Order: sequence, then structure tokens, then C-alpha cells
Amino acid sequence: MLGPDALLAPLQRALAASGLAEADLWVHRRRAAITRYSHSSIHQNAVSDETSVHARAIIGSAVGATSGNSLDPAALRDLLERAAALARLQTPNLDWPGLAAAATYRAPIAFEEATAALEPALQARAIGRVCDAVAAAGFRAAGTHSVDVTEDAVANTNGVAAYAPATVAYLRALVLGDHGGSGYADDLSHRASELDPAGIASRAIEKCALDRDRLQLTPGDYEAVFEEDAVAEILRIMSITGLSGQSVRDGRSFLSDAVGTTVTGSRFTLHDDALHPGQLAIPFDPEGTAKRRVSLVEGGVARGPVYDRWSAKSAGTESTGHAADPRRYGHGGHAGNLVMAGGTATREELIGSVTRGVLITRFHYTNTPDPKRATMTGTTRDGTFLIEDGKIVRALANVRYTMSALDLFAGIDLLGPQRLVRDWWSTNGMGSIVCLAPAMKVSRATITGSSPA
Amino acid sequence: MLEDSRLENAVQWAARRGASYADARYVERESETVSIKDGQVEGIDRDSDRGVGVRVLYQGSWGFAASDRLTGEAVLVPLFEQAIARAEAAATVQRRRVVLAPAEPQRGEYRTPVRRDPFAVPLRERVDLLRAADAILSTPHARLRRASVASYRTRKRLLTSEGTDVRQEITECGAGLNLTASMAGAKPATRSDMRNVRQAGWEYVEEFDVLAHARTFARDVEEILRAKPAVERPTTLLIDQPFLALLVHESCGHPTESDRVLEHEVAFAGTTFMWPPDRGILRYGSPFVNMTADATVPGGMGTFGWDDDGVPATRTPLVERGIFTGYLSSRETAGALGIERSGGCARAEGWQHFPIVRMVNVSLEPGDQTYGALLAGIQDGLLLESPASYSLDDKRQNFHFSTQVARVIRNGEVGEYVRGVAFQSLTPDFWGSCDGVADDWELHGFVSCAKGEPLQLMRVGHGAAHARFRDRPIEVRA
Repeated sequence: MLGPDALLAPLQRALAASGLAEADLWVHRRRAAITRYSHSSIHQNAVSDETSVHARAIIGSAVGATSGNSLDPAALRDLLERAAALARLQTPNLDWPGLAAAATYRAPIAFEEATAALEPALQARAIGRVCDAVAAAGFRAAGTHSVDVTEDAVANTNGVAAYAPATVAYLRALVLGDHGGSGYADDLSHRASELDPAGIASRAIEKCALDRDRLQLTPGDYEAVFEEDAVAEILRIMSITGLSGQSVRDGRSFLSDAVGTTVTGSRFTLHDDALHPGQLAIPFDPEGTAKRRVSLVEGGVARGPVYDRWSAKSAGTESTGHAADPRRYGHGGHAGNLVMAGGTATREELIGSVTRGVLITRFHYTNTPDPKRATMTGTTRDGTFLIEDGKIVRALANVRYTMSALDLFAGIDLLGPQRLVRDWWSTNGMGSIVCLAPAMKVSRATITGSSPA
Repeated sequence: MLEDSRLENAVQWAARRGASYADARYVERESETVSIKDGQVEGIDRDSDRGVGVRVLYQGSWGFAASDRLTGEAVLVPLFEQAIARAEAAATVQRRRVVLAPAEPQRGEYRTPVRRDPFAVPLRERVDLLRAADAILSTPHARLRRASVASYRTRKRLLTSEGTDVRQEITECGAGLNLTASMAGAKPATRSDMRNVRQAGWEYVEEFDVLAHARTFARDVEEILRAKPAVERPTTLLIDQPFLALLVHESCGHPTESDRVLEHEVAFAGTTFMWPPDRGILRYGSPFVNMTADATVPGGMGTFGWDDDGVPATRTPLVERGIFTGYLSSRETAGALGIERSGGCARAEGWQHFPIVRMVNVSLEPGDQTYGALLAGIQDGLLLESPASYSLDDKRQNFHFSTQVARVIRNGEVGEYVRGVAFQSLTPDFWGSCDGVADDWELHGFVSCAKGEPLQLMRVGHGAAHARFRDRPIEVRA
């Protein structure tokens, strides 16, 4: 790790030397250590050190952008010069919102030294514990142990100087049996010591053991219990379809023309809160704006989206600190630290409240055939069960679920406590959303198909 | 780094240190994207990176390390030390050792044939092209208009302890259009295609004819806004090449990846329904369905000289006359599955990633009927053009697709637009209903097939021709 001084100083020197009146630099460094296993054997063990540097130069409101992967003074100078050259080739951009002003930021909290220094042998040892437990149960295991150590820094010609380190530790296990069943569990934290290999193995083994003699469910509406990973998938669809200032402006969001009105059930409350002590986040965005807690939906009533500087300008408001990673998303804002209000119901109480319905562990490859309604379609996997009279009675073949998130959340009957989870897409970096989400029992979930048993 | 001896010296050091196999892959990448949104230049972005990834087989396990801090041999040997440390850790949880399928050492160079360097096309020319497209996209109900062109170049060198030393320079470019229109009382209508990319020079963008595509999109969205919902029923579908390119990708490309068979991807991307005992037996589709993996297709986004194992580009049948016959494979997966030679599909997104099994150009082979003949054989059906939303299960056996454009076919004639069409199916059931593939085969390219952990986005190519599917249930979400 470089630390704040070593990372910010070259950025500030490069900006000062550029002679540009308006420019900024954002640096994201990542050391990704990932160990993957299958058939209870490690098959990939990789570490990668990457630096990503993004420069913007603004000439009379025309914006030129470049990126590279070196912090050498000559490389930074070249990035800014090329960005300025690109800006000079453009006409003024009337939407340019200006650079962020200098600010103070909360201290980063999602970082731990011990996790940043974790040795590969310890990652392998955690996997070994999962594999041993799974083998003792007569099954085989697959999954991932990863530790990401990141450093972000933003500097601009307005005097912004922001730096934050972060760590992300993740362990997942998919347990498979020769009978064709599977079970899944994972843990996510900024502290590797909070990953619980024995607990993960136990949860996944229990599901795999239950997942036999699958029944194909007839399509229709059912009561359902969504575990936390499954809820995260629904929240992701809400985020990408409707929680950004840009989507509201474009009329593509369920929030468009709906702020202040009831859009779903009163038991549903959602915030974006990068400052929540249980979240994985840094306290500023790539534009250098301090992140704020944003109320998105409160008691079923639409409150509003998140904004970056571009979408805030077009909406006549201020950025909430939600500029997206420019390598992944365009302008408009990104709600990536979702906090859904939970409750106190235990897993047994959630299942016990179902007369006849479905337990969903997680989803695979979801998408949205109707973005305006935040409608999601996707198949379940690794633990789909039929519940009757408050008890899991048998395994189900994976089902296809298709339903508006607003309709689903309108039917919330019970909520469990929050857990830190990611949707399927975000677990490998295709998405970048982290959720504090509860498990929930809903009165109606629409099942539109079934995979073969 | 591309030309000097540092990579070779470091690879030899790793072999002396005890690695049964070692390689070093140096990669430089650059890209340039020009985009226009609602008539304004949204961005002119230039990206570049470079770095080295090194891989060892040590005590029967893989170790990999990569860095962009390139200061010579002083970095390369410590990188190999990290890779060996990770292999040693991996070997503590090992129930089977990695065995590589044999491969002959390779030497040589591969370079994309380019008539006009896309990086040398004046920015003014590119912006003028996009502005002209934007003017066409400005329909009465246009709400969001985007147009972009992009150029990519990758230079890389692979050196292995077995004597391979190959250099490649790959140039790609393409254009994308996106138009969303809205009207009171109707759901927004979107036409979007960001997959018009080829391994070629700027001549591809010229041949592609961005303005003609913009005119099609402009017509489509206005028609879709006024269209009535389709009628839910089983019907005959005639599906166009861009749509089938994605269907082939999702329902044949992914399930024939052999690392899925080994469960390397099971916890994330999933497995397959096409297992080794099924080869030569499983009926994947009707006898009209032939699919191949071919890294030698000119212009394909999955075309190269050698994969990242150093295996030369080759062609592998995947489905022959509807029967599943082959896999996409690497030296590792071929070795594990008893496949005699690697299919040359080990690919890494960049220097920072471990090579895994990826698609190359996976295509539906052309049939011998004309598009007109396929159309004439439909009394009552739908023409579907370009996919919208799509979702697959973890075995690639159960899928759901919706379409950007649906038009009614009556008595062999294409008629009015309808909206809200989607369908779900099981893969063999869907391809089994194919009763004709046209001869109008064309190539499509994707720049971001996502797989692996951490995420790797891969360029892949897909050829397809119009094809006809009988008695398909559709759902309508208007």
C-alpha cells in the first residue's frame, strides 16, 4: 500500500504542473488475491496488483478524459496533456457541472490492516476447512476465497484531496452431492477474521442434503421466503433500473413522476448509505464528492434517487456523492450501498409463517424485461424448497421467477435481521452493489417456469 | 518488454526454481472511444494499460501473479516468487494434480489485417459521422440518443518454459447506436446495438454503414410506440442474426465450456447440461443445427494466432446435425477430460488475469435455404430482431429472452409491428424446433463476455443466419 501522502502528492504535483484551470485525477489501486476451488481442490490461485488512473481536463466546459495505469510523474503529465488535447478538439458541453469543491470527508471505516496483509496460506487454510467439513458429510465443495485491498484517491484543481483504503474479504461455498443436489452459503466482511468457514460449510451442507428428489413446481403465485442473497438480487434490479438521477430524468425509473407517492408496501424502506458502519464503502465518490445517506423509499413512499454532479445539475440539485466508477457506468449516479430496513423474524419464523410456498436461496443471471416497473426475471439455484404448513417438505427444481420488485415488496409480511450480502452479479465484479439486506417472507411471488427436475 | 530478454530470463528462473511449467505474458492495451449523447459530444476517452502476468505449475498446482509495476527483471523474479507461493498454498488443498494436454512449442507473429488504422482516423471525421447518425436518431418521440465509435489495440507476447515465444497485435473497431423513445400512454421503446465490432480496421465501420442502421432504428422506435401488444400463443418465430448471435453465445457457447464440466465455474457462472458421456449422443437441436468454435474466422472478435496457452487457433465442431459433439477446451481442461489436444480456448482478458476457457468465434453454421424461402414457409408467425432482456439458468438449459423488435408474419409477408414479445424455453427444446437455417450468415462481435473470478471481459465472435423455429410459446408483457 502507498498510503495517503505517497498517493496524493504525485497527483497534486501533476495537476499543479499541468497549468490547467480545471482538471482532476482519480486513482484506484487494487491488490486482488483470489483462491478458487472445485471438487474440494484449489484450481486457481492468483494475485494481481493493478493501478487505474483517470484524468479529466476541462477547457471551456469541454471535457477530455484519459486513463492509464502508471503513477510515474511523466505518465501523469502525459495523461493530463492528452486529456486537455482531447478537450480542445470538442465543443463546449452544456451539461458540464463543474468540478467538486474542496471538502472534508468522514474517516474510512471499511479497512483492516490484518486483512490487507493476509497470506495465501491462510486463504488456502480457510478453504481446507470448508472442504474437510464437506467431505466428512459425503459431498464435494467449490467456491472462492478472495481478499481485495484497495486505495482510492481524488485530487482536483479546486483543492479536493481525498484518500481512502478499503478491504473486502469474501468466502463462498457451493456444496454438491452425487445425488444432483446443491447448497450455497457465503460470508462478506472487510475483516477476513469474520469469515466463518465452519458456519458456511454447515449452512451449505444442510441445504445440499435437503436438495434431493426435486419436484417441478407448477407456475403461479406462491407465498415465498427470500433469503438475503435473493433479496440483494431484487435490490440490484431496483438500483440499475430506477435509483439514479439519470434514470429518473429519462423517465425510465419507477421514481419518475412518483416522488412523494406510494409505490410499494409500507414495510419496505430503502436507503443508500455508504456511511453505515455495516457497509463496505469509502466516504467519497470518483468525482471527489462526500457521500451522503439518501432516502430512496420510506415506508413504501418514493423519496428520490441518488445523484452525481451531472444528474444533479440537470435536476437542479446537489450531488449526493454517487458518481459511478467511470470504467463501469456512464454519468447519472449509482446507488451501490443499499440498506434495506429489516426486522426481527428468525429464519424459522419466516418459514413457519408460510402455508404453502417457496424458499429461495439465491438467483442466477437475472435481468429486467420491464425496467420501468423494476421487473426481474431469473432462475433460482442452490437451494429452492417447497414449504407447507410452516415446514420445508421437499426440494424443488430451480424455478423461473418473474415479477416487479414493487409488487413483490408490496407483499412483505415479515422481515429478518440485515446481513451484508451481494447479488450474483456483484460477487465477481460484474456489478458493484453491496447490500445490507434482510431475509423476508412475502405473500406473493410469481413463478413463471421450472427447470427440469 | 515486448522485444527484450527479460521475460525469457525470468521464465527460465522459474523453471530452475522447480516449476514444471512456467509462462510470462506481457500485454499492452489501448482504446479510444468517441461518444455523442443527445447531439453533444459526451466524451472522447483514451485508455491504455500494460503489465505482466506470470503463471507456474508447481507441485501440481497453478500459481499466478500479475503486476503493472514494470521496472525490469527486479520485478519479474519477485512476481514468479509470488506465483510459486500461491501454487504452494494451492497444493495444500489438492485432490488432483493439473496435467496439461501436449502442445508443440510455437514461434511466430500474428497481426490483424488492417486497411485503415482506426486510431489514425481524424477525430473530426469520427465526430461528424456520429453527429450525422444523431440527426437521424432525432425522431419525434426520441428521449435518449447515443452514438459511439470505438477502437482497440492489444499487443502481447507469450513466452513459456516449453519454448513457445509468440507475439500478437490485434486491432478491433466498431460502432454503437442507442435510441429510446417515449410517448404518453405507451411504454418507452428502445433500439440498441453496441455489438457492431470486428477485428479489423476502420474499413469495417465504413462497410457497416452507421447511418443506414440509424435510419432503421429511427423507424423502428416510432413504430413500436404505436404498436399493439402481440397475442400470446404458440407460434412460428423467424429470428434474425443479431438475436441468434446472442442465443448461440448463451445457449451453446457457455454450456460447451469444458471448465464448467470440471466445476471450475460452478459457484459463480454455473455448470452445463452437456456432459462428457453425452458427446455423440445428446440431441441438442434438430438436424438443421450445426455449431462450431473457430478462432480462424477472418474478422472475428474471437480470432487470434495463438491462445494464452500458446496453442494455435483451430476450428472445433460443437454440434453436428443437432448432436452435441465437442467442447471448448484449454490444455488444462483437455488434460483433465482426456481430450487429445487442446481446442485453443485458454484466454485472459489482459495481463492481470489468469487464462480460463473462453469462447472464440462460436457460430451457427449457415443452411442452404434463402431468407425468402424461410419466410415463405410461415403462414402465421413473428419476425424477431435483436435481443433485449435475457436471463439463463446455471446449466444454460432454461432461458428467457425478450426482443427489441417483433413484426407479424402473415402468409409469408412481414407486416405490422407488435410489442411486448418474450419467450422462455429449455435449450434442446428450442433448438429442436428449428426447421430451417438460411444462407445469409453474418458475423457479430461482443466486447464483454463476462466470466471468471475476478471478472474477465472477453472479446468473442458469433456468426449466425436467419433461422425458423416452429410452435414456440410466447409471452407478452406490453
